[in-house]
Amino acid sequence: MLILSRKPGESIMIDGRIHVKVVRVEGDIVKVGIEAPPEVPVHRMEVYLEIQGNNRRAVVTRKPPLPRVPLAQPARAGNPQAAGVVRPQIVVRPPANRRGTESAVQENRP
Amino acid sequence: MTNCVSVNETEAAAPGPMVQRVRMPTGLMGFEAIREYELIFQPEERPFGWLQACDPSGLAFVVVDPFLVLPEYRPDIPPPDVALLGLNGPEDALLLNIVTIHGPNRATVNLKGPIVINRHTWMAKQVVIANAIEYSVQHPLPVSQSAD
Repeated sequence: MLILSRKPGESIMIDGRIHVKVVRVEGDIVKVGIEAPPEVPVHRMEVYLEIQGNNRRAVVTRKPPLPRVPLAQPARAGNPQAAGVVRPQIVVRPPANRRGTESAVQENRP
Repeated sequence: MTNCVSVNETEAAAPGPMVQRVRMPTGLMGFEAIREYELIFQPEERPFGWLQACDPSGLAFVVVDPFLVLPEYRPDIPPPDVALLGLNGPEDALLLNIVTIHGPNRATVNLKGPIVINRHTWMAKQVVIANAIEYSVQHPLPVSQSAD
């Protein structure tokens, strides 16, 4: 592992296209900003490892018998009020427009 | 905008197995080298489908429309993923979550990392939802007791 020391406000460039910046240090919390091309996914390590591990345990090479699962009431198109059925709730937040030439450091909730 | 079309409506329009090729430019976590899958739905296997790798590995994942087993699931797709997938709203998104079969009567579903698919371009990504903390990677699926 390459270890570099950075002060708040200083940065690291990876592969000429991934920019990592120490934004702020608050006590023992380091706020890290990452700018990367959209095809480069960036994840907190513990979340990545949890999902990677789950994916690996889930993979099959031969069809297992599938359990019988009762279906929840699917919403019917054109009749959202039918029997109090609620349509699936997917939250899609449009990305904010970037202004000027300043880099936008996006902060995600943990 | 909170409406979306569930997989069932797509299925009902086309009797017989539904097969759709899906591109995943960032792959699945732990399987990043695999970028193309086939999504296969057999009517008799509802609500499950298969995400089958298009490479020689022959590996596959069982997937499920999460709303068919948890209608109150409310996944928050982060804006950078919305932009990458070209989603104009929830109606463009099809969600499928990976199922782990633990045994003939026990299965769990990953609600933290759904596979979000743009139903127009069939481009997909495994997304960590912004509200992942509210959900489990091993949410138990309610299994019917056999009536045999």
